[in-house]
Amino acid sequence: MVKSTSKDAQDLFRSLHSAYSATPTNLKIIDMYVVFAVFTALIQVAYMALVGSFPFNSFLSGVLSCVGTAVLAVCLRIQVNKENKEFKGLGFAGEFDSRQYALVLLGLVHRDCELGMGINWSLFPTANTIN
Amino acid sequence: EANMMNLSRSVALISLFLLPLLSFSFSVDNPTDRRVLVLLDDLSLKSSHSIFFSTLKSRGFDLDFKLADDSKLALQRYGQYLYDGLIIFAPSTERFGGALDSKSIADFVDSGRDLILSADTSASDLIRGIALECGVDFDEDSSAMVIDHSSFSLSDGDHTLIAADDLVKSDVILGKTKIEAPVLFRGVAHSLNPTNNLVLKVLSASPSAYSANPSSKLSSPPQLTGSAISLVSVMQARNNARVVISGSLQLFSDRLFRSGVQKAGSPNKYEKSGNEQFATELSKWVFHERGHLKAGSLVHHRVGETDEPAIYRIKDDLEFSVEILEWSGRSWEPYVADDLQVQFYMMSPYVLKTLSTDKKGMFHTSFKVPDVYGVFQFKVEYEKLGYTTLSLSKQIPVRPYRHNEYERFIPTAYPYYGACFTTMAGFFVFSFVYLYHK
Repeated sequence: MVKSTSKDAQDLFRSLHSAYSATPTNLKIIDMYVVFAVFTALIQVAYMALVGSFPFNSFLSGVLSCVGTAVLAVCLRIQVNKENKEFKGLGFAGEFDSRQYALVLLGLVHRDCELGMGINWSLFPTANTIN
Repeated sequence: EANMMNLSRSVALISLFLLPLLSFSFSVDNPTDRRVLVLLDDLSLKSSHSIFFSTLKSRGFDLDFKLADDSKLALQRYGQYLYDGLIIFAPSTERFGGALDSKSIADFVDSGRDLILSADTSASDLIRGIALECGVDFDEDSSAMVIDHSSFSLSDGDHTLIAADDLVKSDVILGKTKIEAPVLFRGVAHSLNPTNNLVLKVLSASPSAYSANPSSKLSSPPQLTGSAISLVSVMQARNNARVVISGSLQLFSDRLFRSGVQKAGSPNKYEKSGNEQFATELSKWVFHERGHLKAGSLVHHRVGETDEPAIYRIKDDLEFSVEILEWSGRSWEPYVADDLQVQFYMMSPYVLKTLSTDKKGMFHTSFKVPDVYGVFQFKVEYEKLGYTTLSLSKQIPVRPYRHNEYERFIPTAYPYYGACFTTMAGFFVFSFVYLYHK
C-alpha cells in the first residue's frame, strides 16, 4: 500500500510537471514573479516572528506591497491567459497599462507606510511615535 | 552771619552724603545685626558680664542697655523695628515694661530678628513662656537646678556647677577652633521636643545629670535626666531668625569666663574655662556673622548654548548652575561645599544631582532631561546644620518630540525597506522581461 501511494505521488507530480511545461512562456514569467513576491512576503513574516512587530507599520507596508503586487500579477495572468474566454478585446496594452497604474498607486501607499508615516504624520501620531 | 550760613549748608550737604552710610539695621546685603537691645533685671549685670558685652561692642554692635521693667521699652516705632537683635538677661522678670510682652517678642523673631534668652537658677513664667514659643521646655519645677555628681567642677561644693563638654559638632555654630576646656554652667535644665527639627542642643548635659532641687531630698525620681537635658539650645526659624536659649546666666558672667576648670574625675586642669570662647562664637552665629548664605539666580541652558530656553525637549542635554555666597561677617565670600544638590522636580524628583563647585561660589552640573514631559522645576533645597536654609526654584516646561524629531529610519525595519525596494526592482525587471521576451 505504501509503495503504491508513493508511486501515485510520483505519478501525480510528473503529470503536473508535464502539464505545467505546456503553459506559454509569458504566463510562466508572471508565475515566477508571483512566486518571488510571495517569497519576499514570507521572509518578512518570518523576520517579524523573530524580532517582534516593532515597527508594525513598516512590516505591514513591506508585506502588503509584496502581497499586493502578487495579487495584481495574478490578475494580469488571468486577463492575459488565452484560455479564458471572457477577457477578449481589451488588447495586450490595455491590461498592462491598467496594471501599471495600479502598481504605481500601490507603490505610493507602500512608501508612505515604510518611510515613517509620511502624510499620516501630520494628521495623527501612530503607535510608533510614542516611545 | 555768612559763616554761619555756610557752615549750616555744608553740614546739610555732608549729612546728605552720609545718610546712606548710616544704615541702622541689617539688610539683605549686610545680614549682620547692628542695633541690639539688652534687657537686664539688674543694672549690675552690666559690670558682672562686662567681658561678654565688650566683645560684642568691639565687633561693632550697638548695645542699648535697659532695665526689663523700664516703662519706655519698645521694639517698634511707627511700624519700623528699632533693633535687629534682643538679648534678654532678665530671668526673674515677671512682666516687661512698656510695650514689650511675650507676643511682641514672638513677632520680633517672626520678623527675622535674633534673640538671646537666658534663664538662671530661677526662671519666671514670662521667660518660660518665651522659651516655649521657641520650642524649648524649661523644667516645670521652679526650684530645680541641674545637678551632676560626676561632671561637676571641682571648685564647687554642691555639684551644681557643671563642667560640660558635650558640645554640638558644628564649625558654623561654634567656630573652627575646638573648645578645649569644659564650659561651666549653673542653672536650670530644659528639654527639646524630639520631633521639632528647628531646635538643636548646643551644650548637652552628661548622662549622669538630672534636674532637681539641690537643697531638698529627692522624693521621687527626677523627670529630666541625662542627655535629654539641654543646657544651651539654639533655634533657627524657617525665616532664618536665630534664637539662643541658655539655662544659665552665669555662663556669660565675667567670673566664669575667667575661672579655671577641672572636671571631677579628670586629670586635666584648664587655666581658663571654655565659657568665653563658647559665648563669643555662639554670639557670632546668632547675630548672623557666620553661616549666612545667599544665592544668586539659577541659570540653566542647553549644552552648547548660553541663552536660557523657554522650553526643553525630552532627552535634551542641559547645564545648570547657581551662585552661592557666604557672609563672612564683613563681606560676601564664595561658599564652598560638596553637598549641595539640585532636583529636577515634578511632584517628585526625576533627577537628583550633587552640584560640583569651582570654589569661587559657582555650583554647576549637567544632566539629560528625563523622558517625561510636563512642567518641571529646578529645585535647590539646602538645610545644613547651622546654615540658613536655601529654598530656590525655577519653573521650566518640557515638551515631547515634534513629529519631525523622531529618527528618520528605524534600524529594525531595514529588512522591510529592503523588501520594498526589491519588489520595485523585481517589478521593473519583470515588466522588461514580460514585454520584450520572445
